[in-house]
Amino acid sequence: MFACIYIPDFPVEAIVRAQPLLRERAVAVLDGKPPVVRVIALNECARQMGMEAGMTKLQAGVFAGPTLRPRSPEQEKAAHAALLDMAFGFSPRVEDTADDRLLLDLSGMERLHGSAANMARELATRVRSAGLEGNVAIAGNPDSAMHAACGFPGVTVIPGGEEARRLGVLPLNVLLDSFDMPRTKKAKSATAREREKLREQMLDTLERWGVRDFRLLALLPEHALASRLGEAGARLQRLARGDELRTLTLCEPELRFEEALELEWTVESIEPLSFVLNRLLEQLCARLESRALAAHELQLRLQLEKRVADEETTTSLPLSDTVANEAIFERRLRLPVPMRDAKVFLKLLQLDLAAHPPGAPILKLWVAAQPAPPRTAQRGLFLPLTPEAEKLEITLARIISIVGEHRAGMARVLDTHRPDAFAVERFQAAEDPNGPCPTFSGKERCAYALRIFRPARQLRVRTAGGRPMAIQSRTDSDQLPLQGKVLWSAGPWHCSGEWWGERSQADNEHGPWDREEWDIALQNGESGIGLYRIYRDNGSGQWFAHASYD
Amino acid sequence: MSQPATVRARIESSLGERLSSTLQLRERLAPQTVTTGVAALDALTGGLPRGALSEIAGPASSGRTGVMLSALAEATRRLEICALVDASDSFDPASAEAAGMDLGRVLWIRCSEHEQQLPLDGFAHNARPQRKAFRRLDQVLKVTDLLLQSGGFGMIVVDMGDIPGEIARRVPLTSWFRFRRAVEQTATVLMLLEQEACAKTCASLVLQLHRQAICAHDAVPKKPDETAGWKIISGSLPAIPANNVVRHAALLHGMQVQAEVVRSWTRKPVQSVFELRKYSTLSS
Repeated sequence: MFACIYIPDFPVEAIVRAQPLLRERAVAVLDGKPPVVRVIALNECARQMGMEAGMTKLQAGVFAGPTLRPRSPEQEKAAHAALLDMAFGFSPRVEDTADDRLLLDLSGMERLHGSAANMARELATRVRSAGLEGNVAIAGNPDSAMHAACGFPGVTVIPGGEEARRLGVLPLNVLLDSFDMPRTKKAKSATAREREKLREQMLDTLERWGVRDFRLLALLPEHALASRLGEAGARLQRLARGDELRTLTLCEPELRFEEALELEWTVESIEPLSFVLNRLLEQLCARLESRALAAHELQLRLQLEKRVADEETTTSLPLSDTVANEAIFERRLRLPVPMRDAKVFLKLLQLDLAAHPPGAPILKLWVAAQPAPPRTAQRGLFLPLTPEAEKLEITLARIISIVGEHRAGMARVLDTHRPDAFAVERFQAAEDPNGPCPTFSGKERCAYALRIFRPARQLRVRTAGGRPMAIQSRTDSDQLPLQGKVLWSAGPWHCSGEWWGERSQADNEHGPWDREEWDIALQNGESGIGLYRIYRDNGSGQWFAHASYD
Repeated sequence: MSQPATVRARIESSLGERLSSTLQLRERLAPQTVTTGVAALDALTGGLPRGALSEIAGPASSGRTGVMLSALAEATRRLEICALVDASDSFDPASAEAAGMDLGRVLWIRCSEHEQQLPLDGFAHNARPQRKAFRRLDQVLKVTDLLLQSGGFGMIVVDMGDIPGEIARRVPLTSWFRFRRAVEQTATVLMLLEQEACAKTCASLVLQLHRQAICAHDAVPKKPDETAGWKIISGSLPAIPANNVVRHAALLHGMQVQAEVVRSWTRKPVQSVFELRKYSTLSS
């Protein structure tokens, strides 16, 4: 048993899929090199208004009301990919016959999906959930299913043995449109033109004989037809009778999830862009769901309009003072765990774009997701509290927008002798609740903790015999003052390192260091006695306060 | 039956259908508490309450950070995810690791002086440039709000230990009240570290720390009247150093800290505001 999914007016459906509001309106798709731009596809509403395929843009423009759109190869590609994802979610054996049609092998699917009628209805529902409107037909052989899908609207089920009777009413152009369709998509254009010419000749010949439908073609004598039209004629007759048997040329599922949209007019702010992004992300998530996958990385590409008001070259340019150049703006979001929630993706993209605005109006956008197996989590009643991964990711993005990049995360102590050496890494809630946790006995625990001054506070120190006797920090009303008499001091501890590096003037985090450290007890005015660690930089001779003991 | 009892019975019978348990006192369940990691503090306070705001206040070098690191270490030992809102970017990962904290379970947020959104008074465009500390406080409040809304954290620590008291007091009480309400129905421990207690009645537990003595091995001040604040640990008396200087090898051994429970809702009754208990950060 085989099923065919056929999307009529596929270029129109591809555009309407990205903009569902157009579904109720007349839409025509234009293609061709100017000035020869013609209507190549139109929906039923446009046909009812009197428009036809092949009209020029000028002729189509006479009609008031229809929406004219240029053909969008990216959206057609995305729509076809969505259709394939949906098909592979139904059956593992799929033939990628053409952009607008697929053939599925339903052998053995009855146990899973029920009767043929159930399967056909289920397929139609899934096609609609992919954002497309199409015909679904089921028959005993692939070609009969394809002809039925192309000829009959909606859902059609042809029981075995009734192909000739049911297909008999279909006109011959249905047969010839799909006749000798290339089994692969690598047909050269010249060969396609020749095949088109052959089809026209055959159709003309058969019409002159008075054969206009499948039934009349099936009734013609076989040998006479073969002698007149050759092997092609004999094959056509077998197809009309529904006797042609063949195996499907199976295609491999491609794990590529990308949606694209070309905007009618440029978008300059994030808010209107969010509506468009939401739509694309929902389609992406629906495709991932149909393949039981999630995404572990999101890629956003924006084609920007770059306006150049070039005053220097106005003498050489025409009066127009804008030259539109295109630039591509890319962002990648690496997710901590595989996710498949369009709302979370939208929020993360909004926060990322707010932190890194594109800086120019947007013409076109692509959203792609890197697929990954969805995460599995076994929760239990007695496991400790952990934040949800999706919520945590959004919270982290919001926090980063407040405090800045690289200022929120997980600390990691670096394996170096440099004082206060650490790195801040991306925070991820531990997935394994039973993961290893360092255990410390009471004897190993540190008796005190440091509070680091970042950046280190510069001091003026009065010394005696090389030892600090009194210190004073630079006055800053937002910080606690450090000034007073040194009650006791312990030191110096000399530490240095990375002598091979170049000293950075900006900070002490890189390059060599050479310092003498002291622990002091400071009579700090009214605050009482405080314990501090100060150091003298041997390179510059300046004193700094490194930390306080608390 | 006494008159009050009769009146009560009458009221309950007439209102019983509309209002249940009208005159019955509903006893609040004792909140669940978690250990601070310091046995003496746990004995004093009963632990840090879940679903409540706890304040730990004290001047510099009073042991607040040690208590914070110990509490976070215990939380990570329970495999909970914690968050630390560091107002002054003063957290030391090395000290935390030495205290037994699993750094992979702690989200560290380092507030900065980076210019962000509106200041606390809301008049950014007309006012003078915002003070750095206000910008930090602004970030602290916003980030704490986000963490509480996100939920799922076992402990959230707001470290304002280096923010001067007069600036920390500028935080409106409504903010602390909002935090308290946000954390009330959750299992999260919200801990606030500061120099002076400023959350007032919004805090369920207020602990005031004072450093009583600095402990160092073999440290003997020169003059007897400068012994205040010192504690001799070592039994033997070494030679008195010449310049009131601790020997290089006489390292800081710890601090003797005095903790005072100023307010506690978890342990009743509180006889007075003073309940002194001393503990030492000494390991032995």
